[in-house]
Amino acid sequence: MKFATRNLDDRVTVITGEGRLNMASAAELRELVAGAAVAGRPRIVVDLSAVDFMDSSGLGALVGCLKTARQAGGDLRIAAPSEQVTMVLQLSNLDRIFTSYASPEDAYRA
Amino acid sequence: MPEPLALRCPPDDINTVHDYVQRVWDSAPDLDSMDKLKFETAIVELAANVIQHADDGDGVRGTVVVTVDGDRIRGSVTDTACASTVALEPREMPDQSAESGRGIAFIQRLVDVLHYERRDGENLWMIEKIRQSPGS
Repeated sequence: MKFATRNLDDRVTVITGEGRLNMASAAELRELVAGAAVAGRPRIVVDLSAVDFMDSSGLGALVGCLKTARQAGGDLRIAAPSEQVTMVLQLSNLDRIFTSYASPEDAYRA
Repeated sequence: MPEPLALRCPPDDINTVHDYVQRVWDSAPDLDSMDKLKFETAIVELAANVIQHADDGDGVRGTVVVTVDGDRIRGSVTDTACASTVALEPREMPDQSAESGRGIAFIQRLVDVLHYERRDGENLWMIEKIRQSPGS
């Protein structure tokens, strides 16, 4: 699993994952989101377009990251989840919590 | 079908299990894509549970086997740790704010059979999924 972080504009941070979001990679996502929150950029989009698999550990990390972002006054939204990621979100009923957008650019568009 | 996976963590991790499952899928090209998604999610949850909880201080040692036949996909995970105390009665899905505890609930919703037994000094976990589109 690889992650990349970029600033979308002066407010939004995009974290792009590539590979599998699972027990082996979840901790790194938590660290990246915590880092963005500490840096004063808690409006976060996790771009899942290249994440082909997510398990319950990865999902747990997303929940933790959402809390971190909201506690810092921001939010965490997701973009372009794959079929498997969408299935996991629905299975856990967390599709009601995570607002999903077609692309990172759409996530905070007013 | 590929040879069963002998799991040794470390250096193996959950990605080793994914790579093994992918080799099984490569050998069964007529499997329905949703059957594969659901089964892979279940077997990975099972293996992750073992990797997380079956370390007796000397890493995790076990096997993972996935086979496909005409009407179902079967998987088993063994480990050499002491007997598991994980309860397998039907699980409610944890609260939306929970950051853990969904693994067994996922498995119960994704496959048709989840079974555990202690056999020959090992923990043996088995799952089965009935194929939506049976093969030949």
